[in-house]
Amino acid sequence: MEPRSDTVQEDFNYDPDRNYDEVIMAQQRIIEKEIAESQPLISNLLTFDEIVEEYSDEDSVYRHKIEDLKGRYKNMRKTRGDGNCFFRAFGFSFLEKLLQDADGYKSFVDVVHKSKDMLISLGFPQFTLEDFYDTFVDIVKQVECPGTVEKLLETFNDQGLSDYFVVYLRLLVSGHLQANEESYIHFIDGERTVRQFCSQEVEPMGRESDHIHIVALTKALQVPICVEYMDREGLACNAFNFNPSDATDEADPKPTVTLLYRPGHYDILYPL
Amino acid sequence: MTSMEKRLQKELQAMTKDPPAGVSVNTNSLSSSLSEWVVDIEGAPGTLYEGERFQLSFKFTSRYPFDSPQVMFLGPNIPVHPHIYSNGHICLSILTEDWSPALSVQSVCLSIVSMLSSCKEKKLPPDNAIYVRTCSKDPKKTRWWYHDNSV
Repeated sequence: MEPRSDTVQEDFNYDPDRNYDEVIMAQQRIIEKEIAESQPLISNLLTFDEIVEEYSDEDSVYRHKIEDLKGRYKNMRKTRGDGNCFFRAFGFSFLEKLLQDADGYKSFVDVVHKSKDMLISLGFPQFTLEDFYDTFVDIVKQVECPGTVEKLLETFNDQGLSDYFVVYLRLLVSGHLQANEESYIHFIDGERTVRQFCSQEVEPMGRESDHIHIVALTKALQVPICVEYMDREGLACNAFNFNPSDATDEADPKPTVTLLYRPGHYDILYPL
Repeated sequence: MTSMEKRLQKELQAMTKDPPAGVSVNTNSLSSSLSEWVVDIEGAPGTLYEGERFQLSFKFTSRYPFDSPQVMFLGPNIPVHPHIYSNGHICLSILTEDWSPALSVQSVCLSIVSMLSSCKEKKLPPDNAIYVRTCSKDPKKTRWWYHDNSV
């Protein structure tokens, strides 16, 4: 079928002497700024009634799914849609959990201490790595001195600190993927090596997270994560558990962090 | 000191104490806030650029290392290379969309040196004429189309 001419914007004429890139990028900056001004990095606790209108705008299927979530979860927090939402949601939610779990905190601090040398041995430059590591550790330590949810929320909404935390989580994922290259090479699309995948899809800020990022973070930090997938299929959300252990005969451990996924975005869930 | 200055201070120290082969920071060029640097680089022995000397300009915003640095070659000698435009702009993905805060001035210099070293034929990018005529002064305002990883 021929395209209908009235669907084409007729007054547009490509001018080869004009610079379109700048116009497009300026517009992208405006959109990013609007998002930054309207959405906190991590929101306050919300009830599902507060978000049902917004979430179900697109599709009535979502309305049913929110009813389904209400049967299993009491609250949620929204995160800013800036491409870092998975890492930021995980980071906040995990540290919030550790406020109530002294043993979990101790073993996490051990994992973190070992991670720096592991990343340096993989070839990450020491002086940039140390910068991120030091800030990451400072933020983790807020859990014990003595930590409060309010303090963590303030830290994670401080763009500078919050982004340093996200960078180190990204480096941990990159390190885990590279150290276990043979397990992941077949899950990478395009003709790319694991190293190339990491420098294009993991290490740059704002690059969105996929299944493979979650698997790697779960294993790198030994933290079970559950993701509730809210798509247009069926009437209930599909929960998927990411486990640190590969053993298939064990029951899934209770997830430490639970996230809600809508296509392209992760928010935090609080089980009943 | 801002976090950008602290970070650049550290990078400057590492680059002057232990510079990579063929790369040296031009310390006369540094502005007091460290937001502008000039780096001298030398074509590696055994490559098409052997013996040639070039200058790279680095500019950093206060959001560095979250914002990538603006990096371009300065005249009079701009390398003739399929990914380097005659106005000094460089088509290299880590300078824009693949930038990561874990990269540094040093890793950028090393990538550029290796890009020069792997070049097999000195020629301008195919779209050099139109690009140089229409582009922004700031190479970060170009939406680069990275099509070739071989050079």
